[in-house]
Amino acid sequence: MDESTKRKWDFSSSFYDLLAYGPERRWAPQKQNLFAHMNGKVLFVAVGTGQDIPFFPPDQNIVGIDISPRMLAQAKSRAAEYNGSLDLRVMDIHALEFPDHSFDQIVTSCTFCSVPNPVAGLTTLRRVLKPGGMLYMFEHTGSRVFPFNLMLNLMTPLWKPIGPEMNRDTVANVQKAGFEILQVNNVYLDVVKTIIAISPVETT
Amino acid sequence: MEHRFYFIAGDALSNGITGMAIAQLTTSIVDHTWHMATAMLTGMGVGMGFSMILMPVFVGLFGAMEVMLPVMLTAMMAGMVFAMMDTMLELSIFEVLLGGALVGILVLLLTYVADALLRRKSL
Repeated sequence: MDESTKRKWDFSSSFYDLLAYGPERRWAPQKQNLFAHMNGKVLFVAVGTGQDIPFFPPDQNIVGIDISPRMLAQAKSRAAEYNGSLDLRVMDIHALEFPDHSFDQIVTSCTFCSVPNPVAGLTTLRRVLKPGGMLYMFEHTGSRVFPFNLMLNLMTPLWKPIGPEMNRDTVANVQKAGFEILQVNNVYLDVVKTIIAISPVETT
Repeated sequence: MEHRFYFIAGDALSNGITGMAIAQLTTSIVDHTWHMATAMLTGMGVGMGFSMILMPVFVGLFGAMEVMLPVMLTAMMAGMVFAMMDTMLELSIFEVLLGGALVGILVLLLTYVADALLRRKSL
């Protein structure tokens, strides 16, 4: 378990919902559209305080993980209201305790701005995802466009101690981890985006 | 592009207030004795720094990146423009506040245009 990351998010859990009120409502339509793809056995990575749970389609079989026990403690009441199977567990994405090829789909939401080693984390996700399984991501990333790239680079060192990094190239990281990108949709500028990728079936 | 009134009004409010606050703050620091380039750089720095204080309030109410990026740009622009103007002109508080709000709205509109263009580039 990455203790420094755990401590950071345990600390942020005390004010997370205050800062997330606006963003969660703003992104609600796009998240609902993305999560509507959920099907089969689903791993939801970084549940946080459970702000995304109301957007899950009903009657799904979902395992939700987060590195922060305090975040998950807050998520419990939202999980209890979910109309389907939702199992919450404290787990570090770098050391997932699931056997290989356990899940049909993996869904992330504003996760890979914060995972300390994103390519290693995505590689671990690929391990627990079935070959041919789908990865659905709602993420904010860096920008390729001036002046937004400058703003994000300036903001990153200020936000990193209590929250995410603002300038990551998550689409490239997904490819580096061996996924095949099927679709990238810009939700806001080229900064907030949905990414749909597949874990390729290995042929020998 | 955003079409919900709550968020459009929130964007306008965030950038308008930021523009007014930074313009007023900058003109209270800089005066006609400053060299223009020094004043502009100071205005940009003051704008960026102070926007970090305003940002959490607007983010919590109206959105994350959709608020942070235009608000920070507004703060930099308002700081730079009003620092420059303050080295050359005597500005009334009304002119400073109105001008700051206009800088904020202009930056917001340009960001909306950039958003519309970049969304078309989805793969």
